[in-house]
Amino acid sequence: MKAILNTGRTISQGVEVEHKGSPVYRAAVSVCYMNPVDLMDLGIEEGARVVLTSRAGSIVLTTWTAEGVNRGEVFVPLGPYANHIISAETHATGMPDFKGEPVEINPTEERVKDIGSVMEEIGGLWYDH
Amino acid sequence: MTELLVKNACVIDPLNRISMEIMDLPIRDGRIVESVSSVADVIDAQGCLTLPGGIDSHSHVCGTKVNFGRYMSPEDMRAGRTARRGKMHVTSGYYVPTTFGNSYRYSTMGYTTVLEGAMAPLEARHTHEEFTATPHQDMMANTLFDGNWAIMEAVQKHDVRKAAAIVAWTLSAVKGYSIKLTNPGGTEAWGWGEDVSSVHEQVPNFNVTPAEIITTMIQANELLHLPHSVHLHCNNLGKPGNFQTTLETFDLVPDSNNGRQTLYATHVQFHAYGGTTWQNINSKAEEISRSVNAKPQIVMDMGQIMFGRTMTMTADGPMEFNLYRLHHNKWSNHDVELETGSGIIPVLYSKKSLVNCVMWAIGLELALLTKNPYQCLLATDNPNGAPFVKYPEIIGLLMSKRYRDEECATLHSGTGQRTVISSIDREMDWNEIAIMTRAGQAKALGIITQGKGHLGLGAEADVAIYPIRCRDVDPSTEYRKVTEGFQKTMYTIKRGRVIARNGEVIVEGANSTFWVNPSVPEEINVADDPEFVKKFKEYYTVRMSNYPVQDVYLPRGKCIRTEAMR
Amino acid sequence: MIIKDVVCPFCGCLCDDLEVEVDGQRVIRVQNGCALAESTFTGSNRLPAPIRRNAMGWEEISYDDAISDAADILLSADRPLLYGWSSTHGETQSCGVHIAELIGGVIDNTSTVCHGPSILAIQEVGHPGCTLGQVKNRADVIVYWGCNPAEAHPRHMSRYTTFATGFFVPEARHGRTVIVVDTRRTESAEIADEFIRIERGGDYEVLSALRAIVQGKSSIIPSEVAGVSREQLIRVSEICKKAKFGAIFFGLGLTMSAGKYKNVRNAIELTDELNRHTKFTISPLRGHSNVYGSNEVFTWITGYPYAVDFARGIAFYNPGETTAVDILQRGECDAALIVASDPGAHFPHSAAAHLAKIPTILIDPHQTATTPLCRLQIPCTMTGIDAEGTAYRMDGVPIRYKKIIESSYPDDAYLLRRIHDRIREVQGA
Repeated sequence: MKAILNTGRTISQGVEVEHKGSPVYRAAVSVCYMNPVDLMDLGIEEGARVVLTSRAGSIVLTTWTAEGVNRGEVFVPLGPYANHIISAETHATGMPDFKGEPVEINPTEERVKDIGSVMEEIGGLWYDH
Repeated sequence: MTELLVKNACVIDPLNRISMEIMDLPIRDGRIVESVSSVADVIDAQGCLTLPGGIDSHSHVCGTKVNFGRYMSPEDMRAGRTARRGKMHVTSGYYVPTTFGNSYRYSTMGYTTVLEGAMAPLEARHTHEEFTATPHQDMMANTLFDGNWAIMEAVQKHDVRKAAAIVAWTLSAVKGYSIKLTNPGGTEAWGWGEDVSSVHEQVPNFNVTPAEIITTMIQANELLHLPHSVHLHCNNLGKPGNFQTTLETFDLVPDSNNGRQTLYATHVQFHAYGGTTWQNINSKAEEISRSVNAKPQIVMDMGQIMFGRTMTMTADGPMEFNLYRLHHNKWSNHDVELETGSGIIPVLYSKKSLVNCVMWAIGLELALLTKNPYQCLLATDNPNGAPFVKYPEIIGLLMSKRYRDEECATLHSGTGQRTVISSIDREMDWNEIAIMTRAGQAKALGIITQGKGHLGLGAEADVAIYPIRCRDVDPSTEYRKVTEGFQKTMYTIKRGRVIARNGEVIVEGANSTFWVNPSVPEEINVADDPEFVKKFKEYYTVRMSNYPVQDVYLPRGKCIRTEAMR
Repeated sequence: MIIKDVVCPFCGCLCDDLEVEVDGQRVIRVQNGCALAESTFTGSNRLPAPIRRNAMGWEEISYDDAISDAADILLSADRPLLYGWSSTHGETQSCGVHIAELIGGVIDNTSTVCHGPSILAIQEVGHPGCTLGQVKNRADVIVYWGCNPAEAHPRHMSRYTTFATGFFVPEARHGRTVIVVDTRRTESAEIADEFIRIERGGDYEVLSALRAIVQGKSSIIPSEVAGVSREQLIRVSEICKKAKFGAIFFGLGLTMSAGKYKNVRNAIELTDELNRHTKFTISPLRGHSNVYGSNEVFTWITGYPYAVDFARGIAFYNPGETTAVDILQRGECDAALIVASDPGAHFPHSAAAHLAKIPTILIDPHQTATTPLCRLQIPCTMTGIDAEGTAYRMDGVPIRYKKIIESSYPDDAYLLRRIHDRIREVQGA
């Protein structure tokens, strides 16, 4: 299914923003809010996982429903998961397309990565203290 | 102990009645002294013009609206940029330079003290942060009260003591220097998109008139014994016919102070228009200066415009919006809750515009028609009339009829009929220029006792040595030498340290900020007034305990204490 | 011990009425704050000591070594990028600019991925705004466009707008009409009197349509603009024109959607237009508590609010060229200093990945998503908790953060001063 990606702040993302290593943060930002009818069209239930693919990459997220989200759109809270698939193209404005990136959505059995793995995919090394 | 000896200085020091005397200036630990030892550093002024450091009594250089002006104008930042060099940081900006830009350019011109034209108390912290980043001039802040709710309430109740108590609390809380009124009453009306059109018009919702605000604040100012008088930007700035408002305002002013004026009227050029529309606008400088000549209690500054682009920025929100309607340029606005307003818009003053030519003439007329140079000071309301780097040109014009005539010949052909500039023969002399650029300011601002504006014993050693041999230069014909000479000092000395040499700033600065802490009788201290405290809590969006500017913001603050009369 | 009138260092609301109870070195309770404040003050999880990445993994190092390494990295770089600055106080920001000037680097702040486009729009058409108290005391019409204060600025509506009691609006909610404009029905939309649902990418058209209606040209408006009916557009224009005082607040819905700064420009021009009929202001909802502070500090020192490049010895500004995401995306910088922000979480990963390829220094109290990408992290104080300093609220009002607990962490301003002095020392030699 094709959709347009919207990203932004949520309370639960904000509350955990200083605990980015925590499972609570991960739960808050590795989600994908979708219109219930779109979920139905994809043939999955809320809580099932999907892989979102854009020109910049792909990421596995957990689905949630939200009536407020339009059909053909998905909302992902801002954070390392959303940014894994947002292009760094800024059209010479300095600002990437955080809202409006076209994505492909497919159901998946793959697991949602933890943040450490996401960051290690781009060359990082997780620190455990 | 640091000692410096300036030798062979051709000194003009109007406050000490010294005029073109070749003399030495011995300096120790930042002050002028009787003599210094033989190991003192020596500067040879080579017989050149030596004045006390320049004082700007009205300039917009630090604070919220100035910074607005900067960041909305990247094209101006680019136009005025300089590279990092020696001790000098990068600078940007031509009409609205960055703080270091302002500081270096003022130093280059020999200016060592500046009064920031307008500071909203709620945003004072910002002004003080920028003061620290303007490191080579001692600074002080005109504190805005024109739309202040608590003040208007006191005015409405005819309670001068209450008004004085509010001023006292506010000035000491935000470390301000003086009372500034910008379009009094008008800035509150602008909170609803309105304005006031006369000094007797009621301010919507507050039941007071600008005249009442002005007279009450003048009384409060004198009750508190503040060093400076009320500093007023009259109502109706920029409107054809507004000279009436200005004269009416001047007629409100009593003579309440023996040491200085009772009202400082700022940038009066913008308030001296006759006519009724832009089509028939003309100069009323004669009427205005006649009024001032008869009123020793009034001091004004010119508010001279110079041709070219610049940025207007004032607390007069409605006036700036009208400029937007006229010019359709990018316009910013910033009203400050319970206190005041502001607006910012770039303008172009053009010789092709008859109105602009009339404005240019008026500023000069005001200066030339005011008999006592202590009563009409040199300023451009930087940057509203022109950036302060144009002061030397204005000096040239004031000193030379020929220069004025040559300029007038390039103006719009209709200028002659609307103005009297071409008929004025007066040429200011060196002494009068020294008064209009430092001695007069020191007197008007009440900082002579702080050692500013003169070079007598005990004065702060703020000294500007210009590459002009005034005995050999005839300013009437050699005005180019005058203009060039005032642009760049050979030396600018501040508190006995050489700050700038030939346009190069050579040390890091350590300026002071002057502020006033007026004390009032305990029983009228508003901090203990439950009504004041309650209203503060209900209507402001900042807590009263977080409002005052903490000491840390004034690393070298100079507090002037005054006692209010019972 | 209870400390009153504490300033919250989380979002641009900069609420200064919090009451915080501290017990020794810990905050145990927060009153008056929202959920974001609660978590900011009571959270733990601070990095205990500086860490450095080596061939084997991570090692803890001393502060002195960390400062020395940081200075060395910056000194050896040809094109260093200094980024972040939004969650720290003015002195730190100021020091950062001076370091960038010394080393000829590029300094940018989080506006670049937030309200940078708003700044670009303001640079084209100006900013008719006001302080928040003007809105509280006067506004009978409030518009939230492309933002969701219920989630991102939770107390905005109760402290400053919708639910606040003002001098001229004593009935608070009943005295105000709230209009929310968004592409999705958010929590904020739920409390609106008028909710305008726009098709994605349609803000610019809708703003243009409103401008046309306000100018008296409603006859040219088609029956639907970007999913919004003509009736609703006309109705909303009337509400705005009849307002005594209207205040528009906008957010990332305008800055991040196609058109970016052009969307904001159109909104500002609508506000200008409305000012010919009544009083209207427009203001961005700034995200971080002190991002506006970084704009202010950068501006009074360099002339520009973000994306400042000192490589030529002057201050040079060209968003799109000198902005952090673009510089990282082009692989242009060869070292980075990240202070008080988290590009690992908030930058597109193809840009953030570059941070892992170059020596990156991170100065931040917490482990963040940038930690894995850096070479060296130096933990410091949390501004507003164990460090004080100046912050600028979203409307430009400067408030001083309080220090409410003592800690053994160094202030980030102190760290930067030492790095600055070390760089000066080496350059002078």
